[in-house]
Amino acid sequence: MLRYIVSRLGISVVMILLATVVIFLIANTVPGDPVLMQLGDLAASDPVRVAEFRAHMGLDLPLWHRYWIFLSGLLHGDFGESIVSRRPVLQDLIEYAPATVELASISFVLSLVVGLPLGVLAAVRRDSWIDHVARFISLIGVSAPTFWLAFVVLAVFYGWLDWAPGPGRLDPVSFPPTPITGLLLIDTAWVGDWATFRDAAAHLVLPSIVLAGSTLGLITRTTRAAMLESLSQDYVRVARAKGLRRRVVVNGHALPNAMLPVVTLGGLAYANLLAGAVMTETVFSWPGLGRYTFTSAVAVDFPAIMAITTIVAVVFVAVNFLVDLSYALLDPRVAKR
Amino acid sequence: MTETKTKLTIGRRPFVAGAGGLLGAVLAGARPAAAQNAARKATLVIGLDISDSISLDPARVAQYSNPLPCHAAYDSLVTFSPGDYVNLKPSAATEWKMLPDGKTLRFKLRQGVKFSSGKAMTAEDARFSFQRVMNLKDQPQQYIATIGSVKVVDDHTLDMELTDPTQPILTIIAAPEFIVMEKAVAIAHGATDAADAKTADKATTWLNNNSCGAGPYRLTGWQRNQSMQMVRNDHYWGGKPGYQRVLIRHMSESAAQLLAIQRGDIDVAFNLIPEQVAALKGNKDIRVEGATSLDFIYMAVVNSPDNPALQKKQARQAIGYAIDYDGIIKNLIGGHAVRPTSFLPVGVNGSTEALTKKIGFREDLPRAKKLLAEAGLPDGFSFQLAYGKAAIAGVSYENLAQKIQADLARVGIKAELAPMDQLNLRTMYLGGKAQAVLTFWNPPAPENLLWAAASIDRVSKRVHWDVPADVRANVAAAAAERDLAKSAVLWEKYQESMIDAANQIVLIQPIYQIAVRNSVRGLRLTAAGWMAELDKAKPV
Repeated sequence: MLRYIVSRLGISVVMILLATVVIFLIANTVPGDPVLMQLGDLAASDPVRVAEFRAHMGLDLPLWHRYWIFLSGLLHGDFGESIVSRRPVLQDLIEYAPATVELASISFVLSLVVGLPLGVLAAVRRDSWIDHVARFISLIGVSAPTFWLAFVVLAVFYGWLDWAPGPGRLDPVSFPPTPITGLLLIDTAWVGDWATFRDAAAHLVLPSIVLAGSTLGLITRTTRAAMLESLSQDYVRVARAKGLRRRVVVNGHALPNAMLPVVTLGGLAYANLLAGAVMTETVFSWPGLGRYTFTSAVAVDFPAIMAITTIVAVVFVAVNFLVDLSYALLDPRVAKR
Repeated sequence: MTETKTKLTIGRRPFVAGAGGLLGAVLAGARPAAAQNAARKATLVIGLDISDSISLDPARVAQYSNPLPCHAAYDSLVTFSPGDYVNLKPSAATEWKMLPDGKTLRFKLRQGVKFSSGKAMTAEDARFSFQRVMNLKDQPQQYIATIGSVKVVDDHTLDMELTDPTQPILTIIAAPEFIVMEKAVAIAHGATDAADAKTADKATTWLNNNSCGAGPYRLTGWQRNQSMQMVRNDHYWGGKPGYQRVLIRHMSESAAQLLAIQRGDIDVAFNLIPEQVAALKGNKDIRVEGATSLDFIYMAVVNSPDNPALQKKQARQAIGYAIDYDGIIKNLIGGHAVRPTSFLPVGVNGSTEALTKKIGFREDLPRAKKLLAEAGLPDGFSFQLAYGKAAIAGVSYENLAQKIQADLARVGIKAELAPMDQLNLRTMYLGGKAQAVLTFWNPPAPENLLWAAASIDRVSKRVHWDVPADVRANVAAAAAERDLAKSAVLWEKYQESMIDAANQIVLIQPIYQIAVRNSVRGLRLTAAGWMAELDKAKPV
């Protein structure tokens, strides 16, 4: 088991480094000059100011040197200064990440809590109404464009029915709490500010449903397929033949064996939620990482792009690592191999 | 084993009921009569895309959305009132004049102006503020490079010595970058006006979240991409401001702004597109106010080394006479735009719509064909038209480019469309490598020379225009002329030469459509660069 973990860890580090090298090279092949974009027209036409800004950002150094600065900075927990916001990237990340983590986590829980039982039920009652409902939900979830879905739910539940609050993390007139973790639900609960807690929770409902859409669809579908396969196995037939109750057969025999693909997918889905919330965040004016990633990419903000790439790579690799570990727990044969 | 497993399962019905109950509980009371309660009424909520703001330290303001809070928090010496971008108005200074030496401007400061701390404003505060901008050397400094020194004469008199008095300065220092901040408070938070301010000044972090000015509101917080908060400055010299708080809420999506203003969650929506504005027609609670901007969308036509046809003046002029300008304004922006003659927007001295009708480009196909024949290109020519994947005032460059392509085809000119991302476009255009570009111009201050100098010093390089000496001399004379009527004549002459060179074809100067709830009175929109005057805004 230990050897398994160590070898997995080693591969993970190499993967992260490779990802940063690839992104660094890609970002540098873009023909545009980020400095011209960030300076005003007068400054951008002044060679002295342009050169000064370039030197300040280290953009005048050779490629290998810049990568080296990135790597050594990384080891010291320093991602450099953002070309767009002109402040340390780390500070930007600390400001924007919590909103995304909070939204992605709620969405993930939502898609698990709804998707798993729905998938199981759909498999157990194959071709019944609940199966059709599950298939419909997963179809919509996977195929509806997030942007469109976001607008529709916002227009219906906020604009028309007035059931849910509008865009943003909090009501316009409420004061944001002093950040402790930056996660509003935790920060407000910590100090016992339940009014703001409710406000924050209510603002999470629509965006998390929208963001959960695609993940929910995938989890439902995968669970259903895996369950169907499990249910057709010999040991399930034996269990049934023994006269065990259906609930026991499903939950005790079939489900654990169907979990492997679901766990793989679930892990990746969470990483995806963290990295891919751009559309949802845009429509809901959510001050998160997705929007930051998008602006950084458009402006070719090297330090920000590199920082986000590293973090996304770490998240994906870490999630994969955990998934691999959980395989070993779910299926003892994996570790022995 | 079987027992525990059974206990873990939750029945379907209780599960559904539980989930529904939870959702209901979260949402119930989530809309606490917020729109009605007293706190909400005393708060002005502005919906605006603030993602471009990178600083609220006035000395570092160089974006589109941050002048609004800076202008609300600080007073400049002089200002422009909404709708009049020709005649300066007093603000923190009540009078100003050029001393007999011809290079020193003397300002008399208003009596009784107090900062939000309650302390009185003195000339030393003003001197410190200008000196800090000058030594901080961030982008705003470039525009006041003509200020040699600033000196205190007495508590309410300030002298500003200019190195080149022919360069305009008064119109520029009306902008929110050049305001008066309270010296003592700024220094207490790390500010300095010393020569090494560029590295020694540490006040920006504090100034990003607080203000120390004499404007109607005081900044109390800024969460990036989220909101900016301001509270009333009870010491404001212009009378008690109407709201207790002002919140600028970040809303990047115009559709979200539309929903929010309809629901009453925001009072002002700044970024609506023409279709959304149309949707508000007939709404009893919301009015739409138009504000003619000083921004414009133009097509740069380059004397491109790669395109022999474009090097001919008549060929470029033919483009100017082949475009259906009225069609563009009517169909692409719903009629909410004006069109200046050339590189000076309608509203500044010497630029009017009447002048455009008189000497500007207009749709005249026979003339375009005649010009093509004169250029030796009777069958037309082709060129590459580059544009970014973006939209201004709801007009996408893509649609505009397609419209121009269709218009030009009528006289045999073929525009090959080249969409690209803004970064590449700007790099290519600034590097002088484009053939034609659709792009946008917005000024840092309503000063004619800022447009004219750009067109003959910088944009001219991008379009490979070798500016004739007489055009340069005329611009210099117009800028140095302090008599507005006389300078207007010179500015007209400048525009004539721009039309003749035909390197910039100005297409749209938008009249921004801002939605305001009728519960707000006295909010005045301005094109001077800071969007709105908040001092007289009040709830009804």
